[in-house]
Amino acid sequence: MTTAATSFTITTPAATAISYNRGILFNQSSRSHLRSHHYLRTSTHRKLEHLFVGRRREGKTRAGSVGGESAGVVEMMEGRTTEELKKGIAELYDESSGVWEDIWGEHMHHGYYPQDGVVSLDDHRDAQIRMIEEALRFAGVSDDPNKRPRSIVDVGCGIGGSSRYLAKKYGASCQGITLSPVQAQRAQALADAQGLADRVRFQVADALAQPFPDGKFDLVWSMESGEHMPDKKKFVSELDRVAAPGATIIIVTWCHRDLSPSEETLRPEEKRLLDKICDSYYLPDWCSTTDYVKLLQSLSLQDIKSADWSQYVAPFWPAVIQSVFTWKGLTSLLRSGWKTIRGALVMPLMIEGYKKDLIKFAVITCRKPAS
Amino acid sequence: MKLLTHNMLSSNIKGVTAGYPLLIEPQIITTTEVPINPNFLRHIFPKLDYSALVAAAKTLGFSDLPETAGVSDLEDEGFLKRFNHALLELKLEAGALVCPESGRRFMVSKGIPNMLLHEDEV
Repeated sequence: MTTAATSFTITTPAATAISYNRGILFNQSSRSHLRSHHYLRTSTHRKLEHLFVGRRREGKTRAGSVGGESAGVVEMMEGRTTEELKKGIAELYDESSGVWEDIWGEHMHHGYYPQDGVVSLDDHRDAQIRMIEEALRFAGVSDDPNKRPRSIVDVGCGIGGSSRYLAKKYGASCQGITLSPVQAQRAQALADAQGLADRVRFQVADALAQPFPDGKFDLVWSMESGEHMPDKKKFVSELDRVAAPGATIIIVTWCHRDLSPSEETLRPEEKRLLDKICDSYYLPDWCSTTDYVKLLQSLSLQDIKSADWSQYVAPFWPAVIQSVFTWKGLTSLLRSGWKTIRGALVMPLMIEGYKKDLIKFAVITCRKPAS
Repeated sequence: MKLLTHNMLSSNIKGVTAGYPLLIEPQIITTTEVPINPNFLRHIFPKLDYSALVAAAKTLGFSDLPETAGVSDLEDEGFLKRFNHALLELKLEAGALVCPESGRRFMVSKGIPNMLLHEDEV
Protein backbone atom coordinates (compact mmCIF):
# COMPACT_ATOMS: atom_id res chain seq x y z
CA MET A 1 0.00 0.00 0.00
CA THR A 2 1.43 3.32 -0.90
CA THR A 3 0.98 6.17 1.48
CA ALA A 4 0.18 9.58 0.22
CA ALA A 5 2.99 11.10 2.16
CA THR A 6 6.05 9.28 0.94
CA SER A 7 7.40 7.05 -1.74
CA PHE A 8 7.68 4.12 0.64
CA THR A 9 5.69 0.99 0.37
CA ILE A 10 4.79 -0.62 3.62
CA THR A 11 4.12 -4.28 3.27
CA THR A 12 2.92 -6.40 6.09
CA PRO A 13 0.61 -9.37 6.18
CA ALA A 14 -1.89 -7.20 7.94
CA ALA A 15 -1.77 -4.38 5.42
CA THR A 16 -4.43 -5.81 3.22
CA ALA A 17 -6.69 -6.78 6.07
CA ILE A 18 -6.37 -3.51 7.91
CA SER A 19 -7.45 -0.81 5.62
CA TYR A 20 -6.48 2.70 6.46
CA ASN A 21 -9.83 3.71 5.11
CA ARG A 22 -11.70 2.82 8.20
CA GLY A 23 -9.99 3.57 11.41
CA ILE A 24 -11.79 1.77 14.17
CA LEU A 25 -11.18 4.59 16.55
CA PHE A 26 -11.91 7.37 14.12
CA ASN A 27 -14.77 5.80 12.24
CA GLN A 28 -14.43 7.87 9.14
CA SER A 29 -14.51 6.79 5.58
CA SER A 30 -12.28 9.28 3.85
CA ARG A 31 -9.65 7.62 1.71
CA SER A 32 -6.93 10.10 2.51
CA HIS A 33 -6.84 8.90 6.06
CA LEU A 34 -3.34 10.04 6.71
CA ARG A 35 -4.26 13.62 6.09
CA SER A 36 -5.69 14.61 9.40
CA HIS A 37 -7.55 17.61 8.10
CA HIS A 38 -9.94 15.08 6.64
CA TYR A 39 -10.32 13.66 10.10
CA LEU A 40 -11.20 17.03 11.44
CA ARG A 41 -14.13 17.34 9.12
CA THR A 42 -15.95 14.40 10.58
CA SER A 43 -18.11 15.17 13.55
CA THR A 44 -16.75 12.16 15.41
CA HIS A 45 -13.29 13.51 15.25
CA ARG A 46 -14.38 16.99 16.20
CA LYS A 47 -15.79 15.48 19.38
CA LEU A 48 -12.56 13.64 19.95
CA GLU A 49 -10.67 16.83 19.32
CA HIS A 50 -12.53 18.53 22.14
CA LEU A 51 -11.49 15.76 24.44
CA PHE A 52 -7.84 16.39 24.04
CA VAL A 53 -7.64 19.99 22.99
CA GLY A 54 -10.17 21.30 25.46
CA ARG A 55 -7.63 21.21 28.24
CA ARG A 56 -5.77 24.18 26.96
CA ARG A 57 -6.75 27.46 28.52
CA GLU A 58 -7.60 30.75 26.92
CA GLY A 59 -4.92 32.76 25.28
CA LYS A 60 -2.39 32.05 22.63
CA THR A 61 0.47 29.74 23.03
CA ARG A 62 3.71 31.04 21.81
CA ALA A 63 5.77 29.10 19.37
CA GLY A 64 9.26 28.50 20.59
CA SER A 65 11.48 31.35 19.75
CA VAL A 66 14.90 31.53 21.17
CA GLY A 67 15.28 34.96 19.78
CA GLY A 68 18.10 37.33 19.31
CA GLU A 69 21.36 37.22 21.08
CA SER A 70 19.85 36.47 24.43
CA ALA A 71 19.23 32.85 23.40
CA GLY A 72 16.50 33.07 25.96
CA VAL A 73 14.17 30.59 27.53
CA VAL A 74 11.51 29.00 25.39
CA GLU A 75 8.14 29.93 26.81
CA MET A 76 5.98 27.31 28.43
CA MET A 77 2.63 26.55 26.94
CA GLU A 78 0.03 28.46 28.88
CA GLY A 79 -1.97 26.24 31.17
CA ARG A 80 0.84 23.94 32.23
CA THR A 81 3.51 24.76 34.73
CA THR A 82 6.91 23.12 34.55
CA GLU A 83 5.94 20.92 37.48
CA GLU A 84 2.75 19.82 35.74
CA LEU A 85 4.74 19.15 32.60
CA LYS A 86 7.34 17.00 34.37
CA LYS A 87 4.64 15.12 36.23
CA GLY A 88 2.75 14.61 32.99
CA ILE A 89 5.85 13.34 31.23
CA ALA A 90 6.62 10.91 34.03
CA GLU A 91 3.05 9.65 34.09
CA LEU A 92 2.78 9.37 30.31
CA TYR A 93 5.88 7.21 30.15
CA ASP A 94 5.05 5.28 33.32
CA GLU A 95 1.81 4.39 31.60
CA SER A 96 2.90 3.84 28.02
CA SER A 97 6.43 2.41 28.10
CA GLY A 98 5.18 -1.14 28.57
CA VAL A 99 2.88 -0.90 25.57
CA TRP A 100 5.61 0.56 23.42
CA GLU A 101 8.14 -2.05 24.44
CA ASP A 102 5.65 -4.83 23.83
CA ILE A 103 5.08 -3.82 20.24
CA TRP A 104 8.17 -1.91 19.19
CA GLY A 105 10.89 -3.08 21.52
CA GLU A 106 13.51 -1.37 23.62
CA HIS A 107 14.23 1.64 21.42
CA MET A 108 11.82 4.53 21.80
CA HIS A 109 12.95 6.57 18.84
CA HIS A 110 12.49 6.93 15.07
CA GLY A 111 14.11 4.55 12.67
CA TYR A 112 16.46 5.76 9.93
CA TYR A 113 15.24 4.51 6.58
CA PRO A 114 17.03 4.62 3.24
CA GLN A 115 15.15 6.52 0.59
CA ASP A 116 12.82 4.66 -1.74
CA GLY A 117 13.12 1.46 0.13
CA VAL A 118 10.55 -1.21 0.77
CA VAL A 119 10.04 -1.38 4.49
CA SER A 120 8.46 -4.22 6.36
CA LEU A 121 7.54 -3.99 10.00
CA ASP A 122 10.47 -6.25 10.88
CA ASP A 123 12.85 -3.68 9.48
CA HIS A 124 11.93 -1.11 12.07
CA ARG A 125 14.18 -2.40 14.77
CA ASP A 126 17.08 -2.41 12.33
CA ALA A 127 16.13 1.11 11.36
CA GLN A 128 16.18 2.23 14.98
CA ILE A 129 19.67 0.82 15.38
CA ARG A 130 20.69 2.47 12.15
CA MET A 131 19.48 5.76 13.61
CA ILE A 132 21.93 5.39 16.47
CA GLU A 133 24.77 4.47 14.12
CA GLU A 134 24.03 7.30 11.70
CA ALA A 135 23.96 9.81 14.54
CA LEU A 136 27.32 8.58 15.79
CA ARG A 137 28.71 8.73 12.28
CA PHE A 138 27.37 12.22 11.71
CA ALA A 139 29.02 13.35 14.91
CA GLY A 140 32.28 11.65 14.04
CA VAL A 141 32.52 9.58 17.22
CA SER A 142 35.63 7.49 16.89
CA ASP A 143 35.76 3.69 16.95
CA ASP A 144 39.45 3.83 17.66
CA PRO A 145 40.06 2.01 20.99
CA ASN A 146 42.16 4.89 22.24
CA LYS A 147 39.70 7.58 21.30
CA ARG A 148 36.29 6.10 21.85
CA PRO A 149 34.10 7.26 24.72
CA ARG A 150 34.63 5.66 28.14
CA SER A 151 31.74 7.22 29.97
CA ILE A 152 28.44 8.09 28.41
CA VAL A 153 25.34 9.86 29.63
CA ASP A 154 21.97 9.15 28.04
CA VAL A 155 19.75 12.14 28.73
CA GLY A 156 16.10 11.15 28.58
CA CYS A 157 16.98 7.50 28.31
CA GLY A 158 13.55 5.88 28.01
CA ILE A 159 13.91 2.21 28.82
CA GLY A 160 17.59 2.43 28.07
CA GLY A 161 17.84 1.10 24.51
CA SER A 162 20.51 3.60 23.51
CA SER A 163 22.37 3.27 26.81
CA ARG A 164 22.75 -0.47 26.46
CA TYR A 165 23.63 -0.27 22.79
CA LEU A 166 26.28 2.41 23.27
CA ALA A 167 27.79 0.75 26.33
CA LYS A 168 28.14 -2.51 24.42
CA LYS A 169 29.50 -0.84 21.30
CA TYR A 170 32.21 1.11 23.07
CA GLY A 171 32.84 -1.08 26.10
CA ALA A 172 32.00 2.00 28.12
CA SER A 173 29.96 2.80 31.19
CA CYS A 174 26.72 4.61 30.71
CA GLN A 175 24.43 6.55 33.01
CA GLY A 176 20.84 7.08 31.92
CA ILE A 177 18.39 9.57 33.36
CA THR A 178 14.63 9.71 33.01
CA LEU A 179 11.74 11.36 34.82
CA SER A 180 9.81 8.10 34.81
CA PRO A 181 10.44 5.69 37.69
CA VAL A 182 8.81 2.89 35.72
CA GLN A 183 11.21 3.45 32.85
CA ALA A 184 14.24 3.55 35.15
CA GLN A 185 13.21 0.25 36.74
CA ARG A 186 12.59 -1.39 33.42
CA ALA A 187 15.79 -0.01 31.90
CA GLN A 188 17.80 -1.41 34.79
CA ALA A 189 16.07 -4.78 34.63
CA LEU A 190 16.88 -5.04 30.93
CA ALA A 191 20.49 -4.00 31.54
CA ASP A 192 20.81 -6.56 34.32
CA ALA A 193 19.30 -9.25 32.11
CA GLN A 194 21.76 -8.42 29.32
CA GLY A 195 24.77 -8.72 31.61
CA LEU A 196 25.33 -4.98 31.71
CA ALA A 197 24.38 -4.46 35.34
CA ASP A 198 27.89 -3.46 36.20
CA ARG A 199 28.26 -0.60 33.82
CA VAL A 200 24.88 0.63 32.63
CA ARG A 201 22.96 2.38 35.39
CA PHE A 202 19.77 4.38 35.47
CA GLN A 203 18.36 6.96 37.79
CA VAL A 204 15.32 9.14 38.07
CA ALA A 205 16.53 12.65 37.43
CA ASP A 206 15.81 15.87 35.61
CA ALA A 207 17.72 16.72 32.43
CA LEU A 208 17.52 20.37 33.44
CA ALA A 209 19.32 19.60 36.69
CA GLN A 210 21.49 16.62 35.94
CA PRO A 211 22.76 14.92 39.11
CA PHE A 212 26.35 14.73 37.92
CA PRO A 213 29.44 16.76 38.64
CA ASP A 214 30.96 18.79 35.80
CA GLY A 215 32.86 17.26 32.95
CA LYS A 216 32.24 13.57 33.59
CA PHE A 217 31.16 12.21 30.23
CA ASP A 218 32.95 11.67 26.93
CA LEU A 219 29.73 11.24 25.03
CA VAL A 220 26.59 13.19 25.89
CA TRP A 221 23.61 11.62 24.18
CA SER A 222 20.08 12.94 23.84
CA MET A 223 17.95 10.86 21.52
CA GLU A 224 14.49 12.31 21.07
CA SER A 225 14.19 13.79 24.51
CA GLY A 226 14.96 17.43 23.74
CA GLU A 227 11.40 18.02 22.67
CA HIS A 228 10.28 17.51 26.29
CA MET A 229 12.58 20.15 27.73
CA PRO A 230 10.74 23.33 28.74
CA ASP A 231 13.90 25.38 28.97
CA LYS A 232 16.08 24.68 25.94
CA LYS A 233 18.84 26.95 27.18
CA LYS A 234 19.08 25.14 30.51
CA PHE A 235 18.86 21.78 28.74
CA VAL A 236 21.76 22.59 26.44
CA SER A 237 23.87 24.19 29.15
CA GLU A 238 23.50 21.07 31.29
CA LEU A 239 24.60 18.93 28.34
CA ASP A 240 27.63 21.19 28.08
CA ARG A 241 28.33 21.18 31.81
CA VAL A 242 28.49 17.40 32.19
CA ALA A 243 30.55 16.97 29.02
CA ALA A 244 34.24 16.30 29.56
CA PRO A 245 36.82 18.34 27.65
CA GLY A 246 36.93 16.99 24.10
CA ALA A 247 33.59 15.24 24.53
CA THR A 248 31.00 14.89 21.80
CA ILE A 249 27.42 16.04 22.32
CA ILE A 250 24.71 14.56 20.13
CA ILE A 251 21.13 15.83 20.13
CA VAL A 252 18.49 14.14 17.98
CA THR A 253 15.19 15.88 18.40
CA TRP A 254 11.96 17.20 16.93
CA CYS A 255 12.12 20.84 15.88
CA HIS A 256 9.85 23.12 13.96
CA ARG A 257 11.03 24.61 10.68
CA ASP A 258 13.47 27.47 10.75
CA LEU A 259 11.81 30.86 10.58
CA SER A 260 12.57 33.03 7.61
CA PRO A 261 14.27 36.37 8.30
CA SER A 262 10.97 38.20 8.02
CA GLU A 263 9.15 35.94 10.44
CA GLU A 264 8.98 36.36 14.17
CA THR A 265 6.86 33.32 14.88
CA LEU A 266 5.24 30.42 13.11
CA ARG A 267 1.98 31.00 11.31
CA PRO A 268 -1.18 30.66 13.45
CA GLU A 269 -2.31 27.43 11.80
CA GLU A 270 1.15 25.97 12.34
CA LYS A 271 1.05 26.89 16.01
CA ARG A 272 -2.40 25.36 16.34
CA LEU A 273 -1.17 22.06 14.93
CA LEU A 274 1.84 21.97 17.23
CA ASP A 275 -0.29 22.89 20.23
CA LYS A 276 -2.47 19.85 19.75
CA ILE A 277 0.57 17.64 19.58
CA CYS A 278 2.13 19.34 22.61
CA ASP A 279 -0.98 18.83 24.67
CA SER A 280 -1.01 15.08 24.19
CA TYR A 281 2.69 14.38 24.29
CA TYR A 282 3.50 16.67 27.22
CA LEU A 283 5.75 18.84 25.13
CA PRO A 284 6.56 22.43 25.86
CA ASP A 285 6.83 24.88 22.98
CA TRP A 286 9.00 23.83 20.11
CA CYS A 287 12.05 25.59 18.81
CA SER A 288 13.91 25.37 15.51
CA THR A 289 17.16 23.65 14.60
CA THR A 290 18.77 27.04 14.22
CA ASP A 291 17.75 27.91 17.77
CA TYR A 292 19.71 24.91 19.01
CA VAL A 293 22.71 25.84 16.91
CA LYS A 294 22.65 29.35 18.37
CA LEU A 295 22.53 27.97 21.90
CA LEU A 296 25.53 25.74 21.24
CA GLN A 297 27.39 28.67 19.71
CA SER A 298 26.64 30.79 22.76
CA LEU A 299 28.37 28.16 24.91
CA SER A 300 31.46 28.29 22.71
CA LEU A 301 31.11 24.69 21.66
CA GLN A 302 33.00 23.67 18.53
CA ASP A 303 32.44 21.75 15.31
CA ILE A 304 28.73 22.47 15.45
CA LYS A 305 26.81 20.62 12.75
CA SER A 306 23.14 20.11 12.13
CA ALA A 307 21.06 18.24 9.59
CA ASP A 308 17.44 17.70 8.69
CA TRP A 309 16.71 13.97 8.60
CA SER A 310 12.96 14.28 8.10
CA GLN A 311 13.15 12.47 4.78
CA TYR A 312 14.90 9.50 6.42
CA VAL A 313 12.24 8.97 9.08
CA ALA A 314 9.16 9.28 6.89
CA PRO A 315 7.91 5.68 7.22
CA PHE A 316 7.97 5.80 11.00
CA TRP A 317 4.64 7.38 11.99
CA PRO A 318 2.60 5.49 9.42
CA ALA A 319 4.18 2.33 10.78
CA VAL A 320 3.40 3.25 14.36
CA ILE A 321 -0.20 3.99 13.43
CA GLN A 322 -0.38 0.70 11.64
CA SER A 323 0.90 -1.12 14.71
CA VAL A 324 -1.94 0.38 16.73
CA PHE A 325 -4.47 -1.19 14.39
CA THR A 326 -3.41 -4.70 15.12
CA TRP A 327 -5.19 -6.82 17.68
CA LYS A 328 -2.22 -6.62 19.99
CA GLY A 329 -1.91 -2.88 19.45
CA LEU A 330 -5.52 -2.11 20.17
CA THR A 331 -5.84 -4.32 23.22
CA SER A 332 -2.58 -3.01 24.68
CA LEU A 333 -3.65 0.53 24.05
CA LEU A 334 -7.08 0.10 25.59
CA ARG A 335 -5.49 -1.48 28.64
CA SER A 336 -2.84 1.16 29.06
CA GLY A 337 -4.56 4.36 30.00
CA TRP A 338 -5.96 7.62 28.78
CA LYS A 339 -2.64 9.42 28.36
CA THR A 340 -1.38 6.69 26.04
CA ILE A 341 -4.60 6.64 24.06
CA ARG A 342 -4.48 10.39 23.65
CA GLY A 343 -0.93 10.06 22.41
CA ALA A 344 -2.04 7.50 19.87
CA LEU A 345 -4.89 9.69 18.63
CA VAL A 346 -2.51 12.50 17.87
CA MET A 347 -0.12 10.48 15.71
CA PRO A 348 -1.70 11.52 12.40
CA LEU A 349 -0.92 15.09 13.36
CA MET A 350 2.77 14.22 13.43
CA ILE A 351 2.48 12.98 9.86
CA GLU A 352 0.63 16.15 8.92
CA GLY A 353 3.34 18.23 10.53
CA TYR A 354 6.08 16.49 8.60
CA LYS A 355 4.20 16.73 5.33
CA LYS A 356 3.70 20.45 5.81
CA ASP A 357 7.43 20.88 6.37
CA LEU A 358 6.57 22.24 9.78
CA ILE A 359 8.05 19.42 11.84
CA LYS A 360 11.66 18.58 11.30
CA PHE A 361 13.60 15.60 12.54
CA ALA A 362 16.86 17.24 13.46
CA VAL A 363 20.29 16.00 14.40
CA ILE A 364 22.63 18.50 16.01
CA THR A 365 26.13 17.75 17.20
CA CYS A 366 29.18 19.55 18.54
CA ARG A 367 32.35 19.06 20.50
CA LYS A 368 33.44 20.51 23.81
CA PRO A 369 36.81 22.24 23.55
CA ALA A 370 39.65 20.04 24.73
CA SER A 371 41.28 22.43 27.15
CA MET B 1 22.85 1.53 43.01
CA LYS B 2 26.42 0.50 42.46
CA LEU B 3 29.34 2.58 43.57
CA LEU B 4 30.28 3.18 39.94
CA THR B 5 27.06 5.17 39.76
CA HIS B 6 27.59 6.81 43.12
CA ASN B 7 30.93 8.04 41.84
CA MET B 8 29.15 9.85 39.05
CA LEU B 9 26.37 11.47 41.09
CA SER B 10 26.40 14.83 42.76
CA SER B 11 23.99 17.21 44.43
CA ASN B 12 23.44 20.27 42.28
CA ILE B 13 20.97 22.05 44.49
CA LYS B 14 20.94 25.79 43.92
CA GLY B 15 23.53 27.42 46.11
CA VAL B 16 25.41 24.26 46.90
CA THR B 17 29.03 24.31 45.80
CA ALA B 18 30.33 21.19 47.51
CA GLY B 19 27.70 18.64 46.56
CA TYR B 20 30.13 15.88 45.74
CA PRO B 21 30.59 13.18 46.77
CA LEU B 22 27.21 12.29 48.22
CA LEU B 23 27.20 10.64 51.63
CA ILE B 24 25.47 7.29 51.86
CA GLU B 25 22.93 6.16 54.43
CA PRO B 26 22.61 2.47 53.63
CA GLN B 27 19.54 0.49 54.54
CA ILE B 28 19.77 -2.62 52.39
CA ILE B 29 23.07 -3.65 50.87
CA THR B 30 23.48 -6.59 48.54
CA THR B 31 26.45 -8.18 46.85
CA THR B 32 26.44 -9.87 43.51
CA GLU B 33 29.26 -11.67 41.83
CA VAL B 34 30.63 -9.79 38.86
CA PRO B 35 33.40 -11.41 36.81
CA ILE B 36 36.47 -9.24 36.63
CA ASN B 37 36.86 -7.46 33.32
CA PRO B 38 40.38 -5.98 33.53
CA ASN B 39 39.99 -3.97 30.33
CA PHE B 40 36.86 -2.30 31.54
CA LEU B 41 38.34 -1.57 34.94
CA ARG B 42 41.43 -0.01 33.38
CA HIS B 43 39.22 1.89 30.95
CA ILE B 44 37.06 3.40 33.68
CA PHE B 45 39.67 4.05 36.38
CA PRO B 46 40.82 7.45 35.02
CA LYS B 47 37.23 8.67 35.04
CA LEU B 48 36.67 7.94 38.69
CA ASP B 49 37.22 9.91 41.83
CA TYR B 50 39.09 7.16 43.62
CA SER B 51 39.00 8.62 47.13
CA ALA B 52 35.23 9.04 46.86
CA LEU B 53 35.02 5.35 45.95
CA VAL B 54 37.12 4.33 48.95
CA ALA B 55 34.95 6.36 51.34
CA ALA B 56 31.71 5.06 49.84
CA ALA B 57 32.89 1.46 50.01
CA LYS B 58 33.65 1.91 53.70
CA THR B 59 30.11 3.14 54.30
CA LEU B 60 28.86 -0.03 52.70
CA GLY B 61 31.07 -2.11 54.96
CA PHE B 62 34.05 -2.75 52.70
CA SER B 63 37.34 -1.36 53.97
CA ASP B 64 39.87 -3.37 51.98
CA LEU B 65 40.59 -0.82 49.31
CA PRO B 66 43.94 0.97 49.62
CA GLU B 67 43.56 4.67 50.39
CA THR B 68 45.32 5.66 47.18
CA ALA B 69 45.86 3.89 43.90
CA GLY B 70 47.48 4.62 40.60
CA VAL B 71 47.43 3.22 37.10
CA SER B 72 50.15 0.73 38.00
CA ASP B 73 47.89 -0.89 40.61
CA LEU B 74 45.59 -1.92 37.81
CA GLU B 75 48.11 -4.54 36.79
CA ASP B 76 47.90 -6.18 40.20
CA GLU B 77 45.32 -8.97 40.37
CA GLY B 78 44.72 -8.53 44.06
CA PHE B 79 43.90 -4.86 43.64
CA LEU B 80 41.69 -5.52 40.62
CA LYS B 81 39.66 -7.96 42.68
CA ARG B 82 39.04 -5.49 45.48
CA PHE B 83 38.48 -2.63 43.05
CA ASN B 84 35.96 -4.74 41.15
CA HIS B 85 34.19 -5.65 44.36
CA ALA B 86 33.85 -2.08 45.56
CA LEU B 87 32.92 -0.63 42.20
CA LEU B 88 30.58 -3.23 40.78
CA GLU B 89 29.72 -5.98 43.24
CA LEU B 90 28.42 -3.92 46.14
CA LYS B 91 24.94 -2.60 45.60
CA LEU B 92 22.76 -0.26 47.62
CA GLU B 93 19.22 -1.58 47.24
CA ALA B 94 17.62 0.86 49.61
CA GLY B 95 18.77 3.84 51.57
CA ALA B 96 19.57 7.44 50.92
CA LEU B 97 22.21 9.62 49.34
CA VAL B 98 22.88 12.77 51.32
CA CYS B 99 24.12 16.10 50.05
CA PRO B 100 27.26 16.79 52.09
CA GLU B 101 26.58 20.52 52.17
CA SER B 102 22.84 20.90 52.60
CA GLY B 103 21.92 17.58 54.18
CA ARG B 104 19.18 16.99 51.62
CA ARG B 105 18.42 13.32 51.22
CA PHE B 106 17.84 11.60 47.89
CA MET B 107 16.09 8.28 48.34
CA VAL B 108 17.32 5.08 46.77
CA SER B 109 14.66 2.45 46.34
CA LYS B 110 14.88 -0.86 44.50
CA GLY B 111 18.41 0.12 43.63
CA ILE B 112 17.40 3.25 41.77
CA PRO B 113 18.27 6.69 43.10
CA ASN B 114 15.75 9.47 42.73
CA MET B 115 17.74 12.59 42.06
CA LEU B 116 14.86 14.88 41.18
CA LEU B 117 15.16 18.30 42.75
CA HIS B 118 12.21 20.26 44.09
CA GLU B 119 11.13 23.52 42.48
CA ASP B 120 12.94 25.65 45.00
CA GLU B 121 16.18 23.74 44.72
CA VAL B 122 16.74 24.41 41.06
